[in-house]
Amino acid sequence: MKNIKIYLVAVLIGLVTVSCEVEDGQNLNGPTTDSVSSDLSRGELDVAMAGALSDMRVFLGTQVDAQAVAGREYWRFQSSDPRWTGDLLTGILDNNTFYTTNPYASRYATIKDINLLLEGLENTTADFSAEEIAASKGFANTLKAHELLMVLNQQYQNGIRIDVSDPDNLGEFVDYNTALTEVFNLLSSAASDLSNGGGSFPFMVPSGFASVATPSSFLTFNRALAARVEVYRGNYASANSLLQNSFMDLAGDLYNGVYYSFSLTGADLPNPLFFSLNASGANARIVHPSFIEDAEANDARLSKAVERMIDDGNGNMVPNPLTQSNLTGFYDVFIYESNIDPVAIIRNEELILLYAEANHISSPSTAVSAINVIRNAAGIGPYTGGTSPAELVNEILTQRRYSLFAEGGHRWIDLRRFNRLNELPLDRSGDGTFEQFPTPLTENQ
Amino acid sequence: MKQKNSTRRTFLFLLFLFPCLVFAQTSLKGKILDKNGDTVPFANVIEKGTTNGTTTDIDGKFTIDVPNLPATLVFSSLGYETVEQVVNTAAPMTINFVESAQALDEVVVTGLATSVKRSNSANAVASISAEDISGRTPPQTLDGALAGKFAGALVTKSSGAPGGGISVKLRGVTSINGNSQPLYIVDGVYVNNSSVSAAGLNAVSGAASGGNPSSQDNPSNRIADINPDDIESIEVLKGASAAAIYGSRAAAGVILITTKKGKRGETKVSLSQEVGFNTMLNPLGQRTYTRDIAEAAFGPGNGALFAEAQANGTLTNFEKEIYGEEGFINNTSVNVSGGSENTSFYAGFSNSEEDGIVKNTGYNRKSVRLNVEHKFLDKRAKISVSSNYINSNADRGFFNNDNTGTTIGVSLTSTPPWAQLFPDENGNYPDNPYGGSNPLQTRDLITNRETVNRFITGATLDFNIYDAENSSLKLQLRAGVDYYQLVTKAIFPKELQFQKISNGGLNGLSALGSAENKDANYSAFLVHDFNTDNDLAFTTQVGITKQTFSVNIVRNIATNLIGTETNLDQSGNVSVSQNRLEQEDAGFFAQEEINYQNKFIATLGVRGDKSSNNGDANKLFYYPKASLAVNFHEFDFWNNFETMNQFKIRGAYGEAGNFAPNGALFTAYGSSLIDGLPGIVVPVTLGDPTIVPERQKELEFGVDAGFFNNRLNLEATYYNKNVDDLVLLANNEPSSGFGSRWANSGNLENRGIELSLNADVVRSDNFNWSTTILYFKNESEITRLDVEPFNLGGFGQGLGTFRIEEGESATQIVGNNADGDLVVLGNAEPDFQMTFTNNFNYKNFDLSFLWHWKKGGDNINLSSLLTDFGQTSFDYDGTNLDPSGAMSNGDYRVNAFLSGNATPFVEDASYLRLREIGLFYTVPSKLIKSAFKDYVSNFKIGFSGNNLINIFDYNSYDPEVSNFGSNGLSSGVEVTPFPSSKRYLFHLAVDF
Repeated sequence: MKNIKIYLVAVLIGLVTVSCEVEDGQNLNGPTTDSVSSDLSRGELDVAMAGALSDMRVFLGTQVDAQAVAGREYWRFQSSDPRWTGDLLTGILDNNTFYTTNPYASRYATIKDINLLLEGLENTTADFSAEEIAASKGFANTLKAHELLMVLNQQYQNGIRIDVSDPDNLGEFVDYNTALTEVFNLLSSAASDLSNGGGSFPFMVPSGFASVATPSSFLTFNRALAARVEVYRGNYASANSLLQNSFMDLAGDLYNGVYYSFSLTGADLPNPLFFSLNASGANARIVHPSFIEDAEANDARLSKAVERMIDDGNGNMVPNPLTQSNLTGFYDVFIYESNIDPVAIIRNEELILLYAEANHISSPSTAVSAINVIRNAAGIGPYTGGTSPAELVNEILTQRRYSLFAEGGHRWIDLRRFNRLNELPLDRSGDGTFEQFPTPLTENQ
Repeated sequence: MKQKNSTRRTFLFLLFLFPCLVFAQTSLKGKILDKNGDTVPFANVIEKGTTNGTTTDIDGKFTIDVPNLPATLVFSSLGYETVEQVVNTAAPMTINFVESAQALDEVVVTGLATSVKRSNSANAVASISAEDISGRTPPQTLDGALAGKFAGALVTKSSGAPGGGISVKLRGVTSINGNSQPLYIVDGVYVNNSSVSAAGLNAVSGAASGGNPSSQDNPSNRIADINPDDIESIEVLKGASAAAIYGSRAAAGVILITTKKGKRGETKVSLSQEVGFNTMLNPLGQRTYTRDIAEAAFGPGNGALFAEAQANGTLTNFEKEIYGEEGFINNTSVNVSGGSENTSFYAGFSNSEEDGIVKNTGYNRKSVRLNVEHKFLDKRAKISVSSNYINSNADRGFFNNDNTGTTIGVSLTSTPPWAQLFPDENGNYPDNPYGGSNPLQTRDLITNRETVNRFITGATLDFNIYDAENSSLKLQLRAGVDYYQLVTKAIFPKELQFQKISNGGLNGLSALGSAENKDANYSAFLVHDFNTDNDLAFTTQVGITKQTFSVNIVRNIATNLIGTETNLDQSGNVSVSQNRLEQEDAGFFAQEEINYQNKFIATLGVRGDKSSNNGDANKLFYYPKASLAVNFHEFDFWNNFETMNQFKIRGAYGEAGNFAPNGALFTAYGSSLIDGLPGIVVPVTLGDPTIVPERQKELEFGVDAGFFNNRLNLEATYYNKNVDDLVLLANNEPSSGFGSRWANSGNLENRGIELSLNADVVRSDNFNWSTTILYFKNESEITRLDVEPFNLGGFGQGLGTFRIEEGESATQIVGNNADGDLVVLGNAEPDFQMTFTNNFNYKNFDLSFLWHWKKGGDNINLSSLLTDFGQTSFDYDGTNLDPSGAMSNGDYRVNAFLSGNATPFVEDASYLRLREIGLFYTVPSKLIKSAFKDYVSNFKIGFSGNNLINIFDYNSYDPEVSNFGSNGLSSGVEVTPFPSSKRYLFHLAVDF
């Protein structure tokens, strides 16, 4: 009987041990979103900001490629995906495929990163000073405005959602003009936060933002983006004064600006817009022939297109054209030296051209001198044409085409702004142009 | 066998007390042997029509005294047909037992600590014997042995890669995004069956970078580690009505495995050796090239290259070159078992080696098992310990989908026979001008290995607290742990074509993944039996259970390697990812079983479970069950029906759960890096903290009938199971920042029938023939969907995809037709399945085989499209596809793809195959004796094979295939898999 008692005691102990409470499950694989939005700590601010900056680059390549193909800057060849040379050149677009959905979702994911961070700043119990909070909000909202503008550039007259902070209760779609106004207002409120932001940011920024790493210098980036929005809206006077407060420098390096950074380290991303020269049809960017044909002689910017050459076996270099889907090209797009080169978000060359446009009606001579900064840099001499608004717009569009070639799908946006998409060269029968990408299917619009 | 135990016990009792009252006149002696010549201990020997009886001893011998001759003796034992013999002389006799056609006396599990005789069970619980699992032909892995053995399962092999990767779906699809594989329990230990994708192949293949997020690494599933040879029997609880007692993890069914135990008696040593080989199951052949075709298909100059290679005889059949190996199979196993009065043991060692049909692929499993049982405290207590160590290695090659042209399968699709890919005398491989990789180089130089070290140990203590005349109380305590470490190693050296920097490669990649998994389970039960005077028997059980689960997966990928080094630090870049999981479940269980004279058997039970994987960890989820079986043949009026000796009507209802996938509760940031700054980024999927487990409610009805003293048995079952609160990963408005979200947002229904018929057709001294026919079918329907219909598990509507849509089958395959309209193109669910098993026994020869017919069920076959793109399809120039007859098959499929028409890619995956066949010869004992004296007790040789005959129209290697591995809905998508093989084996088995 003694043994039996021992067993019964053992059972009792067993019962007590087993029936105790179960602890709530924990996610062990990363912080949850509510840990940031409910109370942002100093350490979280650093990583949340870096996360947003990192997310801005996701599917950037797809967005730039799709817009550049739409604007006939280059052809994107990918043997495993015929839609690059199909849908995007015929203009018959799918609302549930990669070129529509991936950039759209990625930009809004970045906006979500930022919204959670902003909520966390509202609720923070950390010892942030008022200046630090203002600087952080100004920085975050500037990025958010940029991301909204990126979505809007693709969606155009479809409009977009601006208020997306509650996934269960998304704001309504607003039309293009309203959306541009919202983006502009967001930049303005960010600007006033930045001007109250003290001397430094309470977080680190990547090297692409090195030139705007303090609240006061970052404000010049904010003003540059606002100038781009105002030019898009045709508010040239406003754009003019914004440019004065931006980092525009008529005498400065045209490549000064703010950039996306890339590297090959660990989870970092490589530059998605780089392919080596003479890339195979598996993946290539082939310059649209019109870019070469339409260029002025000796334009230094033609170096952005490099002729494809191959050894013919006898030591002679011969042309090595690439053909796909009945499109043949002789030049590779080559604006980055390697897959860790930075990609411009906005740079001085664009600002000078925005400045030319902002002045082309009110002060044609100012516009011409700005144009000449660009022309001289390209080695094609000063502008000699007429100075009527129509003539100057032609010239500005041409300079924008060559200066901003392959950098952000500018050509398609610019021609759309002036209702001139019908001027785009079509290569095959059945090809066509389009004004905007469809709203993704899963938006349920 | 309507004899009741109580009366038998009574007369044995009498026999024991009053031996002197039996007047011994003639003493009869003999022994009982089974068909293998093994003795049958503890069998009953009764003089017919009297209470005079005895039992056989350990050696199967008996002595019985009868008053006069001739006498009729009745011999019976559990699991064997009863034998009646008229005895005329007192000479020693030998009685040969045959196993029952349907072992009505075997027991099936009904409670966590109790079981019931099959004849009293209210569920159609499938049982599979050791003979069925590995007796006919040894399976490579355990789950592979389940196909065709019982009604109600769809068993699909993901590929022919050595080492498994098999999906088992019981009674249809039970979950869309959650676990759909059954719970495996071995000797009471919850055994993990994860498919852990730790290899990092995706870093090379880029498979997940396209439209589908699955890595498509094609990992094996871990039930493959269990040695099929160690298994005594398997019981399959197919749905919630039988599996409710397992609660929140049982919705996909439960597979209960019992391993072999030692028996009291002389120590027995068994040795078995198998050797054999495997070959490609269905070579497709090559496109028939001409100079013109070569020139047109591969571009200028290739016509000449073709002609030149043809003239020189250097055309290579790459299919044969890659898949043409005969993989060597070598299985050795040694078992030792035996026992004394209080202790018995079974020890088994096995080594299985099987090479693949591709060079440098293969599988090796070493398993050691020790099972010990010991009785103590006057046999009132019993402790059973089972322990198993497994070491397995699988070299799985590099196959399936990619986006980089690097897998062996994909690169073959574009490589014509005149490509010169063989290495020079110094071992330098040329680049393949026709693809992203040189498949011969890839095959010869890469490593993709899974290594598993695993311990599974369980202990059960049974204790009789008291045992009175009408009641008893037993206690059962149980603990088990399953621990393994899975190490995956993938090495892609820098000299590979696609690793060269000049080709845009990573300059060598070394990936090391490690998954550590620990599952533990504990339970305690009390079982109370109570018999009333009016033949009512009550069995009550209550108990508590607890399980803990812990997973830690670390994946390292190093690129830009230093020379030929493969250590992670010998590299330019290393990226690491880690994934952890801790889960704790606790619950209780109570059940009451009432048996009235074996006529009515009713059961009521409930399980309550809580888990840290639920939104509220301490909320109990209840899973009830109820069942009733009525044995009409036990009623007195039934005596008139002589031919039909058994007739049972049964019905059962039960509920069981299925957890939301881990992480569905949370919205957890991912990590990012920009210019040295680590960051957090929102995930693609929004979690739901209020999520509840899926709940399956199953109702099952059935009829069991036995005819001619159970020589013919029929079992018919209808079931209807509803899965409520489906946890779905549905599309979400992307402007929210999340492209998808978890939610309980649908219901699913499965209904089906299962018929099984088995018969002892011929039974005679020299010749026996038994046969089993199974027929089963299942249909599913999404009965509620709160979210928009969504596609999953394919590559989009232009190529065919699964689609979840209210009112439609859960496994429908949709796609765009030629007019661009979205239409249903097929369904992965078979129309029905049938199997036909036969066992012939003539003198010492045994022949058995299993035919398996799967009618209907469609696949999405993208292999042929890829070979069309590559201009190498064997049927490219045929013209049987295009209805107008104008276009060749290859052009037709490519054209369909270009116009977004998915119709040609959805194919009927029906098959009829001779799944297993075995022919064995048992050397007669006389011969054994003269050759080996008494050292050898049994000697058997034989031949067997898997999949030797395959009949199907499906346009690829095997209709049984899955690009996305074994879990989930989307098995049956094919993208250049590792081809399946057929196996031939020779056997030698010796018992000492």
